[in-house]
Amino acid sequence: MTQAKTAYQKPIPLKDIDNAPYWDAADQHQLALQKCVDCTAYSQPPGPTCAKCGSENVTWEQLGNDIKATVYSYVVSYRPFLPGFQEELPTIIALAQLDKVPEVKIMGNILNCEEKDLAIGMPIQMTWVDITEDRALPQWIPATN
Amino acid sequence: MGTIKDRYAIVGVGESERSRKSGTTPLHLALEAANAAIKDAGLKATDIDGFMNYNEGDSCTSHQLATYLGVRPKYVKDIQGGGASTEMLIADAVALIEAGQLNTVLIYRSMNGSSGTRVGRGYDPDMLQGALAGGSFVIPYGSASPSQWFGMYATRHMHETGITKEHLGHVCLSFYEHAQRNPKAFLHGKPLTMETYLATPDISSPFNIHDSCLELDEGNAIIVTSAEKAKDCVSKPVYIMGMAARQCHPHAHYWNDIDQVASDYVAEELYENAGVTPEDIDVASIYDCFSWVVMRQLEAYGFAKRGEVGDFVAEGNLKIGGKLPTNTAGGMLSEGYTHGMNNAIEIVRQLRHDYEGTDRQVEDCKIGICTGWAGPDIAGAMILRN
Repeated sequence: MTQAKTAYQKPIPLKDIDNAPYWDAADQHQLALQKCVDCTAYSQPPGPTCAKCGSENVTWEQLGNDIKATVYSYVVSYRPFLPGFQEELPTIIALAQLDKVPEVKIMGNILNCEEKDLAIGMPIQMTWVDITEDRALPQWIPATN
Repeated sequence: MGTIKDRYAIVGVGESERSRKSGTTPLHLALEAANAAIKDAGLKATDIDGFMNYNEGDSCTSHQLATYLGVRPKYVKDIQGGGASTEMLIADAVALIEAGQLNTVLIYRSMNGSSGTRVGRGYDPDMLQGALAGGSFVIPYGSASPSQWFGMYATRHMHETGITKEHLGHVCLSFYEHAQRNPKAFLHGKPLTMETYLATPDISSPFNIHDSCLELDEGNAIIVTSAEKAKDCVSKPVYIMGMAARQCHPHAHYWNDIDQVASDYVAEELYENAGVTPEDIDVASIYDCFSWVVMRQLEAYGFAKRGEVGDFVAEGNLKIGGKLPTNTAGGMLSEGYTHGMNNAIEIVRQLRHDYEGTDRQVEDCKIGICTGWAGPDIAGAMILRN
């Protein structure tokens, strides 16, 4: 866990009626995913109904805080396109494929990672960065084991 | 849509000056483009009874344009759109003419894309979180530019299919070479070598400045009418053989599945409507907001097999004289940028043989394709003939 040193300038995830359970879990350093009771598909990002079958019968599954994944794809940005990123260039933005739920891919920055070590298929794990007093942002770091 | 084959035509095309700083408004640029297209067709402004436009809140309205052309149209339509909207609005125009509602429609895109609102830049982050599907899962991670959004697709696709940075360079070099033959291309006089290309650092991987489209101030206009009415025009009509106006990704948050793009689903319907195959295409305008987007569409539209697109472009097939001369005015990478409409104008001019007797003309070309890409989620395309 990394504590933000100065006032957080980057965009903070906005909670809404559909995604609040995801971000509430993240604030507790946990991963929660929306899942359809009828067709069992996961919805990421979460929505008002199941994005696969349209069912309103959706629930939330708690996956805990030991979240392993591999890099499915990535970009490395050398210029900031949003406030706050100018201090952390280059920025690695990756799409992580969850080990336990491969159909779910979650975007995030890969922290503590050198660009030269970055590759598709690289094992990573979820971490949470406390960005304000009551908010935490899920991020990724190279897997330690 | 199959039944409209060859019954509608593009009869006029025109553009304004293109520059980094127009010093004027999108309304003035639209008027300049519209007047050029009307003159090209040999029509009077009052012959046009429908006006349509796509924009990102950065243009003038169709009603404004009609007003200052001295026309009271029957129909105006302004949509929020982008890279696939030219094809979509042409299809809408055809449908309205077919339904007997309109006779002749002018479609335009006008923008101060350099000196005014720059696409994909300077937006309020919280607005973007709301505007993008699942935006709160994207924006907080610094991903706010189409280069970053499409780049995520590109990295994976290149990994799977063996496309290299040098292959992307061949796309850029081909279009830049065309721009050197086009005095009105913004990068005319600025040829590109592979050495320079490969030495240029990325802005956001895998794209450097050459892989990315221009940002310019410009207006473009296209006039669509029935084949019957086209006979009254002074221009050589370019007939619409078939269209697939718009196709979406299964999820509005398209990072949900980066292994498919909307263009994959456009191709089949398009060729079926037009009654042709990729082998029949003589000249192409392939939407080129980024070099890789061209590669991905060459695969989707069947011009090269998955895994062979890199070799296809490296062999020079996109150049005039190659198997599929593409973006022959320089494309959006080196001619100009109006969200695809300048590429549509070029395909019309090629099929009319406007460049006959110069090194810009694709010899004897009869059938052309024009594709649009608003993103991995939205694509449209049309096949035209002379």
